[in-house]
Parts: sequence; structure tokens; C-alpha cells
Amino acid sequence: MTAGTARKVPAAAPDREARLAWPPRAGMRLLRLYAASRRVPVAIGAIAACAVGLRIALTGHWDSYGALQLPLVFEAGAAAAITITTASPLGEPERVTGRWLPFLRLATTLALTAAAAGALTAAGIGAHLAGGTVDVLRNLAGMTGIGLLCAAALGGRLAWIGPTGYLVVGAYGLYTQWHGPALTTPWIWPARPPHDVGAEMCAALVFTIGIVITSVRGAHDPAGE
Amino acid sequence: MTAVQAPAAARPTPVKRGPLRATARLLRLELRRNAMLWMLPVAIGLFWFTAYRKAVAIPPLWNLRAASMQIGALLAFVCPVVGAAAWMGSRESRRHTTDLVTITARPRWVRQLATWAATTCWATVGYLGCVAALYGVTAQQAAWGGPLWWPAAVAAASLPALSALGFAAGTLIPSRFTPPVATVAAFFVLALSTQLIVGSQSYWQISPVVTGPWDMTPDAGVGTFYPYLPDLPIAQVMFLTGLTIAVLGAVALPGGSGGGWLRRPAAAVTMAGLVAAGTAVALAGTGTMDAHGMIAIPALHDAANDRPLRYTPVCSHTAIPVCLNPAYASYLPTAATALAPVLSEVAGLPGAPVRISQAAATYRQGIGNSVGIGLPGPPISGTPPVFRLLLPSQLPGPTMTTSELAAAVRSSAGFALVASVIGDNAGATRAQQAVTAALSMSAGLPQSSPAAPTRQRPNATVPLPAPVQSAARRFAALPASARHSWLMQHLAALRAGRIALAQLP
Repeated sequence: MTAGTARKVPAAAPDREARLAWPPRAGMRLLRLYAASRRVPVAIGAIAACAVGLRIALTGHWDSYGALQLPLVFEAGAAAAITITTASPLGEPERVTGRWLPFLRLATTLALTAAAAGALTAAGIGAHLAGGTVDVLRNLAGMTGIGLLCAAALGGRLAWIGPTGYLVVGAYGLYTQWHGPALTTPWIWPARPPHDVGAEMCAALVFTIGIVITSVRGAHDPAGE
Repeated sequence: MTAVQAPAAARPTPVKRGPLRATARLLRLELRRNAMLWMLPVAIGLFWFTAYRKAVAIPPLWNLRAASMQIGALLAFVCPVVGAAAWMGSRESRRHTTDLVTITARPRWVRQLATWAATTCWATVGYLGCVAALYGVTAQQAAWGGPLWWPAAVAAASLPALSALGFAAGTLIPSRFTPPVATVAAFFVLALSTQLIVGSQSYWQISPVVTGPWDMTPDAGVGTFYPYLPDLPIAQVMFLTGLTIAVLGAVALPGGSGGGWLRRPAAAVTMAGLVAAGTAVALAGTGTMDAHGMIAIPALHDAANDRPLRYTPVCSHTAIPVCLNPAYASYLPTAATALAPVLSEVAGLPGAPVRISQAAATYRQGIGNSVGIGLPGPPISGTPPVFRLLLPSQLPGPTMTTSELAAAVRSSAGFALVASVIGDNAGATRAQQAVTAALSMSAGLPQSSPAAPTRQRPNATVPLPAPVQSAARRFAALPASARHSWLMQHLAALRAGRIALAQLP
């Protein structure tokens, strides 16, 4: 390209309107690309499937065990879907060049968690959702935090191990409320009542640590994956 | 040579090496690179937390611990096994090596089977280690009996099925979301499918987490006096085996797994598996709860299992010996101490039992999932008379501490024993009621009237009329020897209803 031809190229965003329009468009494109690379649309679909599944299940008749354990199963599914989006297919090149990555990770995780909490709560409207909204928010945030910690330690694609493993622990904790001795530690928050402050603090702490670590450092990318 | 002249490879060329040796080598490679190996700490940790701790906290009875282990092990292993199998099933797609390995000598199905087998092997190794730990501890603690292998076999047969389901999901839908979705779905089905069980004739009893009549928690009386029935476990193992075969056969059906020469036998295998699984479900639906609290399936039932187990009871050295099944030997000191005051009161009286003998409970299916447990017939029977005792741990309810057990034995068996000796039943005279209350008072029993003597569990306290209470207090205030000698002389008349309240000393 010569200097003459270069002169024919229109100046980049010469007017003020164009200058203002460009960054949001680029930002939106960046968000879209990031979401696509993390399979966020599929995660949203999985969360929606969890909410629909919970809604369908709530129409059935459940005894006390089932009524309490039912939401926990779908909360674990939604948490696993959220945490799997931390897996990056790009690895080192993206980490080196993407200065917005921590914010993108943070925004994506928060948005998906909020969407999951909203969807699961909406699924319980008009039905008996054991524990209510507070329980959903606490359990979902806590299990998402466990999944994020797993992502930081094992990798994003294996982050589901945390929420699904904790699902068994939580379901057992609920079981011990009938067949003692009951597990009362707040670290098994699904077994605590909805407004138990200790359980809420534990879940919030795990979620905060998980989201900070995965936002700043990203998920661990194992070699060969 | 041009491309046109090159012979087309109709099917993968068989390798020269011996097929068994090559298969073993493939399996060894898969074993070394299998995700289940790294999931074992998770599975074992979950087993320890949810199954082992709970099992060792309950009394060391083989039937209780085996049933508890079957349920706990399944729920502990379902998530790691399904997740790891789905992860392994999606490996080729995840690593973008599908095309690369398609051109290898072995059909895709054979390679997939090796991967599934390796996953199942590691899961089984972990599970067997857990069973060995729990059964080893139980063997040291249990006073009588031996390991029950059917519950362990059902859980072991579940692992290949869970692994096959997860593997098929990962193979057919290779996505990063498949392992968690398959895991959560498997847990949901396994843990909550039992909600659909109503009564003992339910097809859903085929679920491997079912060890007996549902909603009746593992009961201490089941499998102790009569053999542990293998009917339901046989149907469950048959179902799980059929399911495993069907799922593994179905993995070969999509195009790309092999040619038509492979898909046709795979379809036949799938059908055979489905037939086996369907037959097992149908068999489970014909099961009914027998009188010993287990599910009996007519087509699988062996009449030899209806004969009671032989054992030599362990007995106390009290005024009247208390004899228990040796499996309950650890309960003997508590039961004997709790009953000792009552036994001193009634020992030697005409019609008093010569022995307190623990009996097998009988079970009756109630409405829905309710089960009635009790003694058939009167508590005292036989010549010489023997009082049949049901320990509180043979009845439904939470596990008791030693003091709770002693109190329960006193209030149930103690009162039933006194009432049986005095003849204080539904049509008892006021004098009989007063003497029963007096002996109960003297023995430190709670003042109550049994609603149903055969159940040995008074569930309602009926206040006695004031004259009866007054006579009871008067009789109880007598010295023990005076009470005893009066009863020796007048018990027959009292039992016959010929003694009036005013005639009591």
C-alpha cells in the first residue's frame, strides 16, 4: 500500500458521533465473542432446562425428603453449568492479550448466577418450593463457589466435580435431619434452615473466594486439554 | 500404482497379534489414562462421609450395616462414576482425535468398550475397597452371623450400569456440559425414583437403592431370624446387567462405530439386554412383603429360605433367664438389667414364664408404604411357659442409646410381662388391674395400662380409677415376700376373676 492509496482510506471515526458509537459496539462484540468461546448460550440453555425440570418436578407429589432434596438437585445442575463456562479454549494467547478478561469473567459468572437464581425462583412460583428464594440463592451461590474453586484447581471443564460432589453431601445433610445425628455445621448449608446466618455466610464466603480467584487468574488450563 | 488401482479396504484389517493379548494391552493403556482413577478419592471421600460413618454408628448387625451400605455406597459412587464415564466417553471429541483414531485397525466400538471397561474397573476397585473396610470393621464388632453378600453384589452390579450410562451419554453427546448433566440426572433418578414406590408390589422396587419394603428403614429384625431373601437382589442384578448390555450395545448402533457386520450383532445384544431388564422389572412388580419383612418374588423364591436360622441363644443369669439371639448379644446386659426388678417380682409364681426369649417379629403390609410390626399371638405361650420378647430395636424408630433402650424395654416388655402373668388383658377385673399396677410400681415401671398386650408397646396411658389406684398403692406397700406369698396362694383365683378389689391385702 502506498501513501497515495493510504490517503484514500477514510479516516477512522472522524466525527464525534462515530467516536462515541465505536467503543460500545466493540465492547458488545468482545462480550459476544467471549460468551461464544465459553459456551455461555449453552449454559443458559442448561440453566433454563434446570428451571423447566424443577417446574415439572414440582407438579408431582413428593414426601418431605423429596420436597427438600428436589431443588438441591436442580441447583447443583445450574451451578455446574455456570462453572463450566470458565473453561477457555484459547489458553495462553488470550491471557497474554486480553486485558479485559478479569472483568469479562466476573461479569459472565455474576450474570449467569443471577439468571440461574431468577430462573429457579421463577420455577417455584405457584408451587411449594422448599426453602423458598433465600434457600435457592444461598445454595446456588455456595455450590457455584465450590465449582469456581474446582475450576481454579482442576480446570474449567472439570469444574462440575465440585457442585455434583457437594450435591451428595448436601442431600445427605438433609437426610440426617430425619435420621440423626443431624449434621448442623454451617458448611453443609443445604441442611440448614433458609435464614441461618452462619450457613449464608459460609456460602457467601465460598462464592466470593471462588469468583475472585477465577476472575483474576481464570480457570486452570491443564496441559493437553 | 494409481489411486484407482489401490484395493479398497472393506473393513479394518485384523491385527496380527493375538486378540486377547491386544485387548489386554488396550485395556492396560486405558487403565493408565482413565479419569476414574483420579475420581476415586472423591468417591471414597463421599462413601466415608455418607455411608461409612453412618454404618459404623448403628449397632453391629450384619443386616443393618449391609442394607445401609448398599444405599450409601450407591449414592456416594453415582456422581463420580457417571461423571468420569461421561468424561471418558467424550474424550475423542474433546481432544479432536475422532478422525485420527477412526483409521486404526480396531473398530470404534472395541476401543470404546475398552475405555468403559477401564472406567468400570477403577470404580469397582474403589467400591470393593470401601466394602472391605466396612465389612472388616463389622466382622470385628458383630457378635454373630456373617457378611451379607447380596447387598454388596447389587451395588457392585450398579457400577457397570452407571458407567455404561455415563459413557453412552459422553459418546453420543460429546459436550463439556454432558458430564454434569448426566451426573445430576443419574443422581436425580437414583435418589428420587423411590418416591414412586407405593406398597410392596411396585415395579420401582427394581431401583438398586431399594433393600426392602420402602419407607421402612433398614430394620434390625430382618435377616436375623430368617435368611436374607435374595429374591429382590437377584431381580435387581438381572435388571442392572440387562441395562448395561443394552446401553453398551446401543453405543455401537450409530454410524461410525463399525460396519453393518458390527451393528447387527450390536442390535441383537441391545435387544437381549432390554429383554433381560424388562423381565427383571416385571419380576420386581410381582414381589410382596413376606411375614419376615423382606420382598419375596414368587418366580425367584426358594422355599428353603422360609426356614428359620438355627442359633444358640445367649442368656442372662437373672431370676428368669433372658435369652436373646446371639446377634443381639450386646443388648443382653441392658435388657437383663432393665427387666431384673420385674423378673424378681414374678419369678416362681404359678403361670410365670420360665424363660424370656427373644422372638422374630412378623410384618404386615399396611396402607401405602406403612408396615405393621409385632408379635403374632399372646406374649406367653408354650409348656413350660415362655415369654416372647421383642426388643425395641426390632421395631421401627430411631437408634436408641443404652438408657433409652433400657427405659423402652422396661415400659414395653416389663409391663407386658406383668400383665401377662396377672392376666390383665382387655376384660381384666379391677383387682387384676390393681395387682398389675402394684407390681409395676414395685418394679419401677411406668404406671400405664397396655392398649394391646401382643404389641408389647403401650401407646396410651389409661388412668386407673381412684379405688384401683388406692388398692394398688396398698398392695405395693407390702413387703416383697408378703406380696409374693399372697400371689402364690391367690394368683389362680385372681387370674380367673374370682378376687374382688376389696379382698386385696
